[in-house]
Amino acid sequence: MSTLTKFSAIPYTGPAPTNREPYVPANVAQTDARGEEIAAKISNNALQQERGQDMPSFSVDRNAIVDVLTSLRNSGFTIPLDLFGVDYPRRSGGRFDVVYQLYSPQANERVRLKVRVAEDESIPSSVGVFKGYDWYERETFDMFGVKFEGHPNLRRILCHEMFQGHALRKDYDPAQRWLLTEQGVAKLLPKIDPKFENVDTDFERVTLNLGPSHPATHGTLRIVVTLDGETIIGADTEIGYLHRCFEKMAETHTYQQVIPFTDRLNYCSAIINNVGYCMTIEKMLGIEAPARAQHIRLMLSEFMRISDHIICIGTNLVDMGALTNFWYLFQPREEILGLVESCCGARLLPTYTRVGGMAVDAPADFLANSQRLVNMLPKFIDDVEKLIMKNRIFLDRVIGVCPISQEDALSYGFTGPCLRATGVPYDVRKASPYLGYETYDWDVPIADGGDTYARFLVRLEEMRQSLRILQQAIDRGLPPGPVIVDNPYVALPPKERVYNEMESLIYHFKLIMHGIQPPVGEAYFQVEGGNGELGFYVVSDGTKNPYRVRVRPPCFPIFEAYPQMITGQTIPDAIAGLGSLNIIAGELDH
Amino acid sequence: MAITRIAPGVVKVERTPLSLSDRLYLPQVIKGMLITLRHLLKNLFNIKGLPIISYPEVKRVYSERFRGRHILTTREDGTTRCVACFMCSTACPAECITIEAGEDERTREKFPARYDIDLLRCIFCGYCVDACPEDAIYMTRDYEMAIDTRARAVVGLRDLVVPPNFPVGPMGWRPYYGEMKKQGWAGGTGLGQPIRTAPFEDDSKPNPDVYRGDQ
Repeated sequence: MSTLTKFSAIPYTGPAPTNREPYVPANVAQTDARGEEIAAKISNNALQQERGQDMPSFSVDRNAIVDVLTSLRNSGFTIPLDLFGVDYPRRSGGRFDVVYQLYSPQANERVRLKVRVAEDESIPSSVGVFKGYDWYERETFDMFGVKFEGHPNLRRILCHEMFQGHALRKDYDPAQRWLLTEQGVAKLLPKIDPKFENVDTDFERVTLNLGPSHPATHGTLRIVVTLDGETIIGADTEIGYLHRCFEKMAETHTYQQVIPFTDRLNYCSAIINNVGYCMTIEKMLGIEAPARAQHIRLMLSEFMRISDHIICIGTNLVDMGALTNFWYLFQPREEILGLVESCCGARLLPTYTRVGGMAVDAPADFLANSQRLVNMLPKFIDDVEKLIMKNRIFLDRVIGVCPISQEDALSYGFTGPCLRATGVPYDVRKASPYLGYETYDWDVPIADGGDTYARFLVRLEEMRQSLRILQQAIDRGLPPGPVIVDNPYVALPPKERVYNEMESLIYHFKLIMHGIQPPVGEAYFQVEGGNGELGFYVVSDGTKNPYRVRVRPPCFPIFEAYPQMITGQTIPDAIAGLGSLNIIAGELDH
Repeated sequence: MAITRIAPGVVKVERTPLSLSDRLYLPQVIKGMLITLRHLLKNLFNIKGLPIISYPEVKRVYSERFRGRHILTTREDGTTRCVACFMCSTACPAECITIEAGEDERTREKFPARYDIDLLRCIFCGYCVDACPEDAIYMTRDYEMAIDTRARAVVGLRDLVVPPNFPVGPMGWRPYYGEMKKQGWAGGTGLGQPIRTAPFEDDSKPNPDVYRGDQ
């Protein structure tokens, strides 16, 4: 403190932000070369490579998109990660970019396709190639009004059916309000599965609403099932009950102000969302958080993953009638949230990370508290395993219940524990390590069968693997140094400097008023969330507000497959299966 | 749960087939009940060790970083530290802060004539504290904010401003921890500057618009 003089210049000597320059990703030459190889393999005239992107990227003519997707799928890109729109209203030659992102688990690489489409044009639907694109196309239609030709059921998905206009278009006023009533809304009637259509039984067919006020759907999901006796012969779902326009809100706020909103995506593991979003912006800015910040991020991410799995296992067992585990497991969860609270002052919605590091340093007893938790948690996991894993009542309710085949899971775009339960060892932390996960000794657990039991096994083992990572992280100790980058264009200067120096005060004002201004361009970054790959795609136009923020919620494709999973099962099985998918409505409905 | 390694970095969780005693149903259920019984007995003789807080008789103690209800700190003369620079309301993602600036006729200092926080809009992210260049807004550990009408959720200067000798104990999220460091008078960027004992030459006629706490 005493070394500061009143008018000393801030010691930052790095470059000023060049926000009007285009964004140049790291190792762009390698990406472009790989893009050429993929283009040569596909050899479609409609495919044109776009250079200078953060992954192999192509623009595709809209009429050829189904062919291109089919040949990409046949050459290994089997997971449809995302499909969304971006609106450029003043651009000539097609107003919307519809972006497709695919992932190849064998080659461990991603590819991005862009289709330009004007307001009155339509795109052939790709539901026939990837089952998961059904809901994504509906979402793009809902938000942008892009029509998909041949889509079996192109109606709104997140917004109410009586909603007027398309919310994510740039010319849609964010303050516009609509009075939405149930008048004129078509009744949701599930399509009966062809397997059961001509089966003659003695029972009358009954259509039943499960939720949104059913205890197992937590007030946020609606499932309509048609029953033949006790068997579900057709099911349909409705989502959007917790839609908060996260993506539209992000467009009207600055980059820092979006961080609290990301807490509310998957509120069971909020710090992972914070980390994912901040690392996307850091990727665009070309900066890296200090080692100490990365270490804290990694440790809290793993604690959050354990807490996420605790909630999933606990609530799933409550849905099946085993209340003990729920109360029992909530003690370690409380302790984990207490640790988060001691770091950042809030339990559920921490807002702990900032672009370029953390808001504050971890408290002095952080490692001691973490060690206490890591010592305490295995007993809870073991006890819960002992309570349920040999219990015949439990086993009869989970083995073979709500199964999904590996092929279907890939086609829907599953990631995370639900995909690993079908035997695909895909984990973002192993496939494209971040925060130094590659330096830790841990394993990706997989299981066979893809049923509720397999998902249980994977989650239990994943908690133990997270504990392994945590023990190693505690043994290494927190690296010394700052927790946020020393760059006044990204991070607020320290408070003592703001109070004492003119320079720092100006930087402080500039950063609050004008925000972080990343270079013009687009970037996608993914982290392993509690439910799977959590990705953020950010388009910057050089101003303080993001031009477009797209979140890839891992729950979305998982819940999309739910009607297929429960068809042929009974209602209690459907409830047991729903809990094991860990659908978090905040994330599902963004 | 048997675990086998099938590839480097990948383990497979095998489904263990049920033994005869497992399939007989009762032995394993009894085993499970024994675990429950063990916990029951353990807790019965150790009621104080239960992980339970009997709210509201016992209140949870949160860390000194807790982001609870806001306060506006004051200078030694009782005027609010806030200079109505609008930084907090700009940084606020929920747009819950409304400020109207006034001007002190003698010192020509800006001060907040009105400072309202809508606690129903507030998301308690702490950005206002991070944004404040004047050490004026802190958060406390007060989390009991139940109200019976929406209008009461809007708190103004009367509810927010605390006296200069407000103790550090109940404070939560703030720019630094320990005793309050920022001293000095309006507009001064004077960390460590000497504290003046009398703020103005004529203190007998204070500006009636400046909120000085409930004196």
